[in-house]
Amino acid sequence: MTPQKPDTTEIAIVGAGPAGVAAAVIAARAGAAVTLLDENTNAGGQYYKQPTLTESGHKYPNSLASNIQQGRELLAGLNHPGIDLQCDTLVWNVSPEELVLYLCGPTGARALQAKRIIFSAGAYERVMPFPGWTLPGVIMAGGAQLMLKAQGLLPGRRFLLAGTGPLLQLAAVQLLEAGADIAAIVELQPRAEFLRTASKLWGHWDKLGQGIANQKKLLQAKVPIKYGHTIARALGENEVSGAVIMKVDGDGRPIPGSETTLEVDSICLNYGFIPATELPGIAGCAQYFDYNFGAYATKTNENLETSVAGIFAAGETCGIGGADVALLEGQLAGAVAARQLGLDPDTDEATLCQKQLQARTVAASLGKMFPVKPGLCALATDGVPVCRCEEISAGEVRAAIRMGVVQLNQLKPWTRVGMGRCQGRICGEILRQIVAHETGLALQEIQPFTARAPVKPVLLEEVGGAVADTGELTWEDHVGGYGVART
Amino acid sequence: MKAQRINGIERGEPITITVNGKEIQAYAGESIAAALLAAGQRNIHQSVKGGAPRGYFCGMGMCFDCVATVDGIPNVRTCVTQVHPGCIVETSS
Repeated sequence: MTPQKPDTTEIAIVGAGPAGVAAAVIAARAGAAVTLLDENTNAGGQYYKQPTLTESGHKYPNSLASNIQQGRELLAGLNHPGIDLQCDTLVWNVSPEELVLYLCGPTGARALQAKRIIFSAGAYERVMPFPGWTLPGVIMAGGAQLMLKAQGLLPGRRFLLAGTGPLLQLAAVQLLEAGADIAAIVELQPRAEFLRTASKLWGHWDKLGQGIANQKKLLQAKVPIKYGHTIARALGENEVSGAVIMKVDGDGRPIPGSETTLEVDSICLNYGFIPATELPGIAGCAQYFDYNFGAYATKTNENLETSVAGIFAAGETCGIGGADVALLEGQLAGAVAARQLGLDPDTDEATLCQKQLQARTVAASLGKMFPVKPGLCALATDGVPVCRCEEISAGEVRAAIRMGVVQLNQLKPWTRVGMGRCQGRICGEILRQIVAHETGLALQEIQPFTARAPVKPVLLEEVGGAVADTGELTWEDHVGGYGVART
Repeated sequence: MKAQRINGIERGEPITITVNGKEIQAYAGESIAAALLAAGQRNIHQSVKGGAPRGYFCGMGMCFDCVATVDGIPNVRTCVTQVHPGCIVETSS
């Protein structure tokens, strides 16, 4: 394993979703050499994921077509000589002192040194466990949307959507328009909370309008929306064949005796989103606790600089805000980074900053209205797996908590939670909820898992030669024992 | 349960892939997971410890529940890997 000289660029951007693309376009137009990296086969992220089926000619239902079209217009900006878009490329580690990223892509493993780095890695969907939640046919609501728009595939016939927040109703409309039958939407918050949300959005007519249009379509299609309910169980042996829903009390605890069984073949879950903070975490960027969304996120100043010199963060990784926030923050981070390199971007950063703060305020009020409630932890009965990868049950986790193991980094070696292939991306936030529920600790007192390289499993044989010749770092520093061997 | 390719959405060239020794129909640009779901196979992966059925879950390559052996390479995420002509997929369940 001979260390190799890293490739170089001026601005490296990790994640080609709304924030990353917006940053790349602004910085490249200002004259910067930009390298835009994404793990996926195409740019767009999840929100602006484009169909991969054909170059043209698709008749998508209305609710998907406008999103695909907006994405296409944004992505057209990437056609600029200053932007080197590298897809199918995983950034699996970062060395913050030298601003070096470690990549694994079609041409093998490489290192890339930049003058500025922008992390715009997006978010993951938040879910909560219940008996049967690992059965095939239980999918994340965003995963269902991806099947519809990227694959033109309706992943089931008769659906239950469960969780909390506006995405459930939007996804239901998209599934309906694609020909699905929707048995019900179960929304954790009581109906009164939903109306209060609407009043908070007074003046933000576009957001209100979208919500009202969705509700109208669901009413026309006679889709029951069960407020103050939760999914309680997925039925089926080898795949989903039904679902049990229950009423919940004010804390989200299921009320015994309120069970209703629904005949469905698919269950879509969404309890909001969790910021993807692995790479900023490895770089040592400070985090803050976002009370509106109940999760830790990357801390930045008003120019979107993190606590580590030369590293910016934009979009969901700085706290859940949605695509509008991501687009504005991408522009702002791209512009500030370009200006720091002595270039003159065609933007007014003060105005961008103001708009971004306004958009953040709207997003925050939405987040506050759709909290995950602690009583939901009662659904994770002792036999229910909490860590899907290592198959660790809620009972094993509770036994450890009773022994005084209350931090995630302690639960990990104690029980093996978070040690599997998803590296805690799914169970991490669930565990924080369970620990809080069991111990009475506040969510912010329970630290998330420490992110470690490689941020996703990589082939050891591929990354073996990727260590950059930056002087003091060794192969062991970068890989430890976390990689996945091919055989 | 067979997933349904949505009518009116133009698809790429038809492609034949082999899943557990059986040929199934797919289209260029589709993910392996989409082709499996359309062929009625939702049960893609058998969990290592408990042998429990798993399938398409997150759809964005983070949960690793839809992994299969593709062209001899184990642990390939079928939701973020496209089909190609002659593609050989072996699922553990």
